[in-house]
Amino acid sequence: MTGHRYIADPEECVQSVALDGLSVLFHRPSGMTHIVAPPAPQILEALRLGPADAGEVLARMRAWYDLDGDEAAEAVEARLEELEAAGLVSRL
Amino acid sequence: MSGTDDKDSGANAFVPSRRTVLALGAAAASTVVTIRPALAQTAGSVLNCQIPVPGPHAAGSHIAQDGSLVPPGTPGAAPPMARPLQGEEARVLLRGSTPPGVDPQSAQAYANYIRRLQAGMSGFTCYASLQLPR
Repeated sequence: MTGHRYIADPEECVQSVALDGLSVLFHRPSGMTHIVAPPAPQILEALRLGPADAGEVLARMRAWYDLDGDEAAEAVEARLEELEAAGLVSRL
Repeated sequence: MSGTDDKDSGANAFVPSRRTVLALGAAAASTVVTIRPALAQTAGSVLNCQIPVPGPHAAGSHIAQDGSLVPPGTPGAAPPMARPLQGEEARVLLRGSTPPGVDPQSAQAYANYIRRLQAGMSGFTCYASLQLPR
């Protein structure tokens, strides 16, 4: 399944502070602050390698992590949509 | 460049030294909470906001050079301002300058009073707005 392709802002646009299990992201261009839980930060990290759809994001994360979840592609697609709504990624 | 075990990805890719398990969760499980500070929306009106010096809670008090509130007649203290400071005037004061219409002898006291403002005090939102990037 090939879905929408997404792109993340460059790393320097987002200041990130890791808390216990969560991350606080300050998105400089919008001045907005977001609290994100896994796998959102990992999805952003994967997208920084370049634009990708949910399947490619998943493949990149598989190279780094042992993924746990039955509906992996669906979950990543849902997270991408959520990150788009928050303004942290945009659709190509 | 050393310290990681896995080096088979792209040159500058983020490569954890140990593989960790990442739970993707259910599609419906939300993972992003966005904080929309009310202050962010006031950034455009910074020039129009006002800071009474001192606030109504301390009407009549004078302001010591360190910004604290002191009784009238305290040596070296500045009198209350006749009118509230505009946001832009406060910005000038906080930079260490004296805006027109403000007694230069009192400028430091007023600036320090503003720096001491806390949430809930009159003028705090205006002061906080001045801190936002423009």
